[in-house]
Amino acid sequence: MQLVRKTIMQSFLLVAIAMTAGLAVNALRPDGLPLAGATPSTVTLPGDSTDIALKDAVILSMSRRAVFLDARTDFEFADGHIQGALSVPVDDFERIFPGIEKELAGKDAVIAYCDGERCPLSGELAAKLAARGVKNVYVLKNGWTLWNNEGLPVEKGR
Amino acid sequence: MTTRPAPTVQGAASSRTARAARLVPALETALRLFLAGLFAYASLDKIAHPDQFAAIIRDYRLLPQTAVPFTAVVLPWLEAVLALALVLGKWREGALFLSVALLVAFFASLVANMARGLDVSCGCFSTAKDGGGNMAWYLARDGFFVLAGLAAWYLGVWRRRSPDG
Repeated sequence: MQLVRKTIMQSFLLVAIAMTAGLAVNALRPDGLPLAGATPSTVTLPGDSTDIALKDAVILSMSRRAVFLDARTDFEFADGHIQGALSVPVDDFERIFPGIEKELAGKDAVIAYCDGERCPLSGELAAKLAARGVKNVYVLKNGWTLWNNEGLPVEKGR
Repeated sequence: MTTRPAPTVQGAASSRTARAARLVPALETALRLFLAGLFAYASLDKIAHPDQFAAIIRDYRLLPQTAVPFTAVVLPWLEAVLALALVLGKWREGALFLSVALLVAFFASLVANMARGLDVSCGCFSTAKDGGGNMAWYLARDGFFVLAGLAAWYLGVWRRRSPDG
């Protein structure tokens, strides 16, 4: 009995020492492994800009980790938009935002888009969202054309 | 004339016991130091490259994904701590028990993956991806380590246990 108790106590202490040392060193070293939520993802969200790549946007869309906000006019939205996107014309932002605020929470990405390489609407919308404290706001540049060209899921109507 | 048992036989037996009594601690120490060297050597490369070791653990496909980084961080340190305890001869019962447990676990992992036909890199002493290598050789080697561990435990713990234990 004494042998069993001794073995268990000592094993426990040895494991505790190893855990302490391992976790401490891991926390201190610059290339330490992330221990939680470390399931690897191929999605690379830019840290220094708000532009998201189409491929990343598609993956986040299919896994329902993203919400798309269409910054164009109501008319353009009704004519065709990314499936599941919400219509948020920049001029109507203040009126619409309170109604959609809770749908933006907890998403990996809130993606604003409009149409055209130089279309300023998505950038303006992103800035307004960030100013209201929305996290993970990104812009899919030339979003509607890119999405449509690839034959990705779209829908009509409002 | 009193009869006595044959003195030569008794003398030979007792000298054999005496020799064994001298040999056993030496063998026990040798085995313990061998295991210590084994674990110390095995831990170094894994401590240096936890990301690569994590990839190897992932390839074994035995642990859930979420347990992989933790294992990759802590397991090499457990090997290092065991090596230290074995060299110093401290906490003998726990250190030898954990040594045998680890060696058996490593051996079982190899057997499991050989049975599944997965060609994993061993990750035993190096985090280099050696693209499988010779599984039979790994098994024979790890089997030998398990036996060495069991022998060290038998000599270092079981033979020394107090009679009431």
